[in-house]
Amino acid sequence: MRRPRLTDRLSPFQRFYLLAMAAFILGPFLPLIIQSLAFRWAWPDLLPSEWWLEQRERSIGPLAWDYVFSPYSRVLEATVNTVIIGAAATILCLAICLPAARVLARERFRGKSAVEFFLSLPLILPEAAIGITLLMVFIGLGLAGSYAGIIIAHLIPTIPYMVRTLTAVYQGLGTEFEEQAMVLGASRLQVFLRVTLPMLMPGVVAGALFTFLVSTNIFLLTFLLGQGRIITLPTLLFSKVSGGTIDASAAGITVIATLPGIVLLLLTERFIRQKAFDGY
Amino acid sequence: MSSPIPPPNSAPRLFQPAQAAGRRPALGLALTLTPIAFVLVLLFGGAMLLAVLQSLGFAPWFGVNTFPSLTYFKALWASQFFWISVGLTLYYATASTMIALVLAIPLALALTKAFPGRGLYDYIYKLPLMIPYLVGIALAVLMLGNGGILSRLAAYVGLIDDPGQFPAILKTHYGWGIITVYVWKQTPFMTLAIYAVLLGVDRNTEEAAAVLGASPRAIFFRVTLPQILPGIVSSSLICFAFNMGAFEAPLILGGGFPDTLPVIAWRYFNDADYTLQLQGMAAVVSMGIISGVLLFAYLAAYRRYEMMIGRV
Repeated sequence: MRRPRLTDRLSPFQRFYLLAMAAFILGPFLPLIIQSLAFRWAWPDLLPSEWWLEQRERSIGPLAWDYVFSPYSRVLEATVNTVIIGAAATILCLAICLPAARVLARERFRGKSAVEFFLSLPLILPEAAIGITLLMVFIGLGLAGSYAGIIIAHLIPTIPYMVRTLTAVYQGLGTEFEEQAMVLGASRLQVFLRVTLPMLMPGVVAGALFTFLVSTNIFLLTFLLGQGRIITLPTLLFSKVSGGTIDASAAGITVIATLPGIVLLLLTERFIRQKAFDGY
Repeated sequence: MSSPIPPPNSAPRLFQPAQAAGRRPALGLALTLTPIAFVLVLLFGGAMLLAVLQSLGFAPWFGVNTFPSLTYFKALWASQFFWISVGLTLYYATASTMIALVLAIPLALALTKAFPGRGLYDYIYKLPLMIPYLVGIALAVLMLGNGGILSRLAAYVGLIDDPGQFPAILKTHYGWGIITVYVWKQTPFMTLAIYAVLLGVDRNTEEAAAVLGASPRAIFFRVTLPQILPGIVSSSLICFAFNMGAFEAPLILGGGFPDTLPVIAWRYFNDADYTLQLQGMAAVVSMGIISGVLLFAYLAAYRRYEMMIGRV
């Protein structure tokens, strides 16, 4: 993919720029971690004057990380909810998008451009508009504040990405192998499970990881449609951050909310490298 | 009604099973698309339609039915604060998209080069892409607040000696906090999109231009930029649309009244006076219209440009 070229080395400016961007992106995490471990960190100290561990023995009540790991913080509940909702949304999204992607990649039919237009709408319309209107409908349907409602809502922003990924893979696939399997007498189910699905696997993994990622990052739809009854990591974080100050326990919860993203980053980089995000 | 599209690079077929390549009956086709249509057309499309109807005065469940009337739009649009909100929403969305773009282009170009730590850098720059906006908001509060790290650093070097002297970055209508969060979160997304395009284009044209005596500046504006334009347009379109509808950053880091459109819509929707929900729907629909018109104009301008340079 890469060809060696005359200009294939970084210029001094580029070297500086890469370092500066890395500092801009990662830098803020340092004070976040320090804050989560601080007991007293008054202005203008650059480092806390008293640390969490020093105070831990003396304090009666739970401090920072003790609080984060205690049931009172609801971190565990939020993490479990985030994973359940993300997994359910991913599986449903795959189930819905696989047949649709197949049709969109291989067939020409009347109304195809209308389908494609509808598929791009959730990316273009403001999330707040989608959330508020869905809330109105879900209240009417009795889905507001339920897991089902949130999972369905998470499908809307994830479907466009999933369909795109799977359509691209289907287009690159051709139909020869499936045809040969059919000639050899395989049933349609066998063809799908033994031939099509294995060939689709890179796209399925990429699409699933991306869908799970988007779902775990969604705040507004969960916040609106959960009606405060269902908390996920982003909505829990919102309740800690919305006051506009970050204390030690809020910093700890922010660190926790970063972890799923780091795990997914390691997974995506490992399994799909650059390919997964091509075309976004 | 359906006809097979020959897949690229496929050998001529001797045998064509009815199921594999598109002689599927219309009914089967419709059934395949039913689940996705249910979610997107019925649920999502239905919600959008209902929002438009409600903003036009159709809400029999509240005992309100003046459909069709523009009362709610008129009430909303008559307020000067609404237009300030529109201006603020557009300002945050545009400024952050443009800054992120300016940061992303050199980053994507640098990433095409080989350098030690290239693999690690992939992890570093993609991190913001993976985590919720609220993490970015928390980081902004820690870094940019009056008692934050920048303020402490300013005190350390002796610029200020009281947190109150630190210039307000958060909670102002200049929105530097909001813009910083969007830029931090979206620069990686744009970088990725532009980088993906860069991998696909023939970079030898840059060298050819250099050999022919073009300055680095001319090479960038005349060769590289037009090549990566599709990535720029698609990613800035998605980011701009997202920023128009973003809620949590303006709510937490914004300057308060007048709020951005999504926050206004949410406040109306949560008001104890439920008839204000119709006003809220008018705000939602206005937001959709403004965003839609701008994105459409942007795409149309881009299409014209593509036609002009003869790429389409």
